[in-house]
Amino acid sequence: MEGDSTTINITETPKERKGKAPLLAAPPASSSIKPVVQKAPKGGYKRGLAIFDVVLRLAGIAAALGAAIAMGSTDQTLPFFTQFFQFKAEFDDLPAFTFFVIANSITAAYLALSIPISIVCIVRPHLAAPRVILLFLDTVMVALTTAAAGGAASIVYLAHNGNSDANWPAICQQFNDFCQEVSGAVVASFLTVVVLMVLVVLSAFSL
Amino acid sequence: MKQGSLQLGVAPPANRGISILDLFLRLVAIFGTLASAIAMATTNQTLPFVSQFVRFRAKFNDLPSFTFFVVASSIVSVYLILSLALSILHIAKANAVNTRFLLLFLDTAAMGLLMAGSAAATAIVQLAHDGNNKVNWFAICQQYNDFCKRVSGSLIGSYAGVVVLILLILLSGVALSRR
Repeated sequence: MEGDSTTINITETPKERKGKAPLLAAPPASSSIKPVVQKAPKGGYKRGLAIFDVVLRLAGIAAALGAAIAMGSTDQTLPFFTQFFQFKAEFDDLPAFTFFVIANSITAAYLALSIPISIVCIVRPHLAAPRVILLFLDTVMVALTTAAAGGAASIVYLAHNGNSDANWPAICQQFNDFCQEVSGAVVASFLTVVVLMVLVVLSAFSL
Repeated sequence: MKQGSLQLGVAPPANRGISILDLFLRLVAIFGTLASAIAMATTNQTLPFVSQFVRFRAKFNDLPSFTFFVVASSIVSVYLILSLALSILHIAKANAVNTRFLLLFLDTAAMGLLMAGSAAATAIVQLAHDGNNKVNWFAICQQYNDFCKRVSGSLIGSYAGVVVLILLILLSGVALSRR
């Protein structure tokens, strides 16, 4: 274009006149260009938590299996008999205890089957999908195990104390060993519930 | 830095929908657990015959498991009412992580407590309906009909509350995974 001219004024700094100016100017203090740092995906603590998750799962299998076996192997026969009353106590005399054995076996089986998914979480710590799956399934298992433990605890309480308003006698006064085994099984089941809750919180923390 | 790369502090839009669904489900759970606690606590049936020796009145506090159920349901419904505040906070600030994690932890505890209460009450209700010949426990529902019906109905509300709490935990987990 005609008539256009650009005048560039260059003023010499005193340093340039003396020949002491640096060749390249230093970058200004607040530079908007920052070096791009490629951070590796944070796998450190998540991998540790996933290993702890597998260990907890193994502990949960032991607790749930212990509870199911302790309840399932109850069998006490009192050493006297009459024609009219039964003096043998087994877990399947009470439907709540039968449900307890079944539910704890299901929990133990689930914990065993969920170990592969947990190992996937160790190997690939930045994946979210297996952790969400484990979170949901662990929550459902908390509900199931709590149901079994709560129902059995209710019957155990009744067996220890009876209920005069409903005319229900306290059978533990006669069936001592049966009651002790059954109470121990309920405690083991509540331990399984605690383990499962810690697993849920662990999965959520590593998400 | 590339333009359009991940910007910290902006939540995916789906998290807001999750938070709204969370609030709605919480309201449903409050209704279920509160109704269940009230239905169980207002049981009172007196049979129309009189005797000096045997009592013919059935209330929820005659059975300790039912007392535990009422207490647990009330605690969980109060907790759910208080957690509405956190839920509304999550709608406003959809990328909150620490409060969502706290809510998940408390929801798990509440679900455990509610399920324990419901299971204890269910065991006693089953016993009251069927009795047990082997331990000489008589089926009291054959006489206390209304009491039994009311008690069985109140269990429905609390089991619905448990299912909703499981869904709430899942929603919190999904929202935490999308950050």
